[in-house]
Amino acid sequence: MEERQQDSLERQDFAWLVIMSLLFFALVAAALWSEYATAWRPFQTRFKRDLAQAGRLEDARKFHSGIKQIWNPELGLVDRCVTCHLSYEWGGILPASLPQPLTPHPALPFMQHHPFERFGCTTCHAGQGWATTARGAHLGGAGWEEPMLSKRLAASCGVGEDELIQMRCNFCHRRDSSTQGMDDINLAKKLFKKKKCIICHTVEGQGGHTAPDLTFEGDKNPELFDFSHVSGPKTAFNWHVQHLIDAGKVSPGTAMPDFHFPPEQARALALLILSWRRIDYPPQYIPAPVAPPAAQPVSSSQPSPFH
Amino acid sequence: MAAGRKSLWRQLTWPWSPDSEREASEAVVRNLWLHWFPAKVSIRSLSWGYSFWLGTVAASLFVILTVTGVMLMFFYVPSVERAYGSVKDLQYAVSFGRILRNQHRWAAEGMVALAFIHMARVFFTAAYRGSRALNWLVGVVLLLGTLMLSFTGYLLPWDQLAYWAITVGTNIASQAPVLGPTIHYLLLGGHFVGQQTLLRFYVLHVFFLPALVWILFAYHMWRVRKDGGLAGLEPVRAMRRAEPKEMPRTKSYSLFGLTPGTSVAVMSSMGLEERDQVMSSPNLTRRMILVFLIVFNVTLVLALLFNAPLEGPANPSVTPNPAKAPWYFVWLQELVASTTIHIGSLTISGGLLGGIVVPGVLLAALVAWPFLDRSPEAAQGVWFARSRARQNLVFALITLAIIVLIVVGLYLRGPYWRLYWPWTARPVMPRVL
Repeated sequence: MEERQQDSLERQDFAWLVIMSLLFFALVAAALWSEYATAWRPFQTRFKRDLAQAGRLEDARKFHSGIKQIWNPELGLVDRCVTCHLSYEWGGILPASLPQPLTPHPALPFMQHHPFERFGCTTCHAGQGWATTARGAHLGGAGWEEPMLSKRLAASCGVGEDELIQMRCNFCHRRDSSTQGMDDINLAKKLFKKKKCIICHTVEGQGGHTAPDLTFEGDKNPELFDFSHVSGPKTAFNWHVQHLIDAGKVSPGTAMPDFHFPPEQARALALLILSWRRIDYPPQYIPAPVAPPAAQPVSSSQPSPFH
Repeated sequence: MAAGRKSLWRQLTWPWSPDSEREASEAVVRNLWLHWFPAKVSIRSLSWGYSFWLGTVAASLFVILTVTGVMLMFFYVPSVERAYGSVKDLQYAVSFGRILRNQHRWAAEGMVALAFIHMARVFFTAAYRGSRALNWLVGVVLLLGTLMLSFTGYLLPWDQLAYWAITVGTNIASQAPVLGPTIHYLLLGGHFVGQQTLLRFYVLHVFFLPALVWILFAYHMWRVRKDGGLAGLEPVRAMRRAEPKEMPRTKSYSLFGLTPGTSVAVMSSMGLEERDQVMSSPNLTRRMILVFLIVFNVTLVLALLFNAPLEGPANPSVTPNPAKAPWYFVWLQELVASTTIHIGSLTISGGLLGGIVVPGVLLAALVAWPFLDRSPEAAQGVWFARSRARQNLVFALITLAIIVLIVVGLYLRGPYWRLYWPWTARPVMPRVL
């Protein structure tokens, strides 16, 4: 009796044990495969081939497949973008016509002061440096607040990709009155001075108090803007653009005059305003302030405070 | 058994293929891991249909959680500056880190669910009667331990989801009368979720709570044996007791010669007969391995297919809209939200009712139930006994209400905690660019 029951239990379980064990091995194989068959691996193979084709046989031989990153603890920077964008610093050797992600980074005039090993990629381009998948790196996934400043994102704002990136240049260059290569932000800074915005607005402790403090306006939660009179996308950028063109329409009853800026000026100003954020870059990353104009000789007509 | 003459391989493997019944019993007694089990196990407790092996499933999940958790500890850094980055590293750069974290996450959510479903099984089979009441209480503490383990683990990735879920969860706890603010302060190590909270939750998550659950789990298992196995055996025992016993006829010797009659019949302490039982090794061990394999495979499939949620880094100045508690607490959040009444500018918070009174009453009912249950003994170990129809209905309705609240809170609540059907468009929340 008991033997028969034992046999029947064994028979019942045996088939399932075999199935589950086989499934277990299949799943372990799938786990190994998912580790190996990453999206970046084909790009690394292609990069190696491109290096060899460009005559850099030694470099191609030395190249080892794996996750690559630019790591800079000073900025808390881990940019794995270069796992796919491998030819970033091979401009001049590899052709600029290579399709993405293997297009070399263009040799822009400011690049010599902003080397990759100090600034990485996300400092300028934003996106998610940790990620090793295209989606994760470019869009960041749910709740990610800093998507990559792509051509598509720039187009949705009505500006160029390089103009959008100037916003991030200004994180460090905030106190420059004018910076080479930052034409849009320079224009915005000039307009900000010309229109005397700080009569009403405070920026970094200076200015009037009749209008909101704009020192860290770029950090403002976009949900706090009233979009009921704004057409187009619900973005802080769009709100600022329309508000700068026609403040009375966007916030009825506001004391802010309608400046009627042309759209390109309004967009430049909106980028400037959004660049005003709390940043925690170490001081060596902030450019030295430009020397103030030489002191004017005190004219004798002014009474000295010591007399 | 002459173990000395056996080869090393045979020494290690003989418990799995015992040559005799005696070896099979020895396999249990002489093995550190197996001597938790009785030498013989009833066929009824091996059946799939009575217990569904839910406790074993929950325990298997806990084994998986312990192993994956220890591996994750080699990479995770419990500091507000580095926690998020170390989880991102696991997600993207560490070999098998993504699978490890996913498996840990899905096993954790599964263990919360399984601990509850296991409890529901025990309730519906009235398996908490008599001496088993103590083990029911141990089970209630294990359920709370599981919830706390999951809740403390929820914070560790230090992303927006974690940060705000813990903010919501601990705010519910602060609604307790008199002690609320103290509990809140004690949990967070301050007035808001910060480094102190992260460290506190980490130490609870990786040491104190797992130790508590492991120790209580061992006791829980041991008590099952001391209480005479699963309650499902009680109907078998009752049946065996009712059967007329065939007393073996023997000859007894008296001073004056042979006396006809019967000898003393000995019943085993289990109250079961030989035909009700099989050897634990390998019948019980084989089935346990099978259950573990199934659970492991299911969690691994989930880990391969679905990534554990991970949002943007925690940002105390930007609250996601809406911010939700973890799913097993979202029914309380839903209760708090839906019992909060606005009359003009006056707001009556539902925090006390939804956050304290309802969960408190439910917990008290769980603790007291075995002592209040007056249903007949015969209901023990029987699924949905007719004599317990009313209390089973109450339990089922409360469970259903909790599930409905979870579904509403989790899937139907959109921005500003407004109700949206899954198929209606939700407002697009403004972005910066």
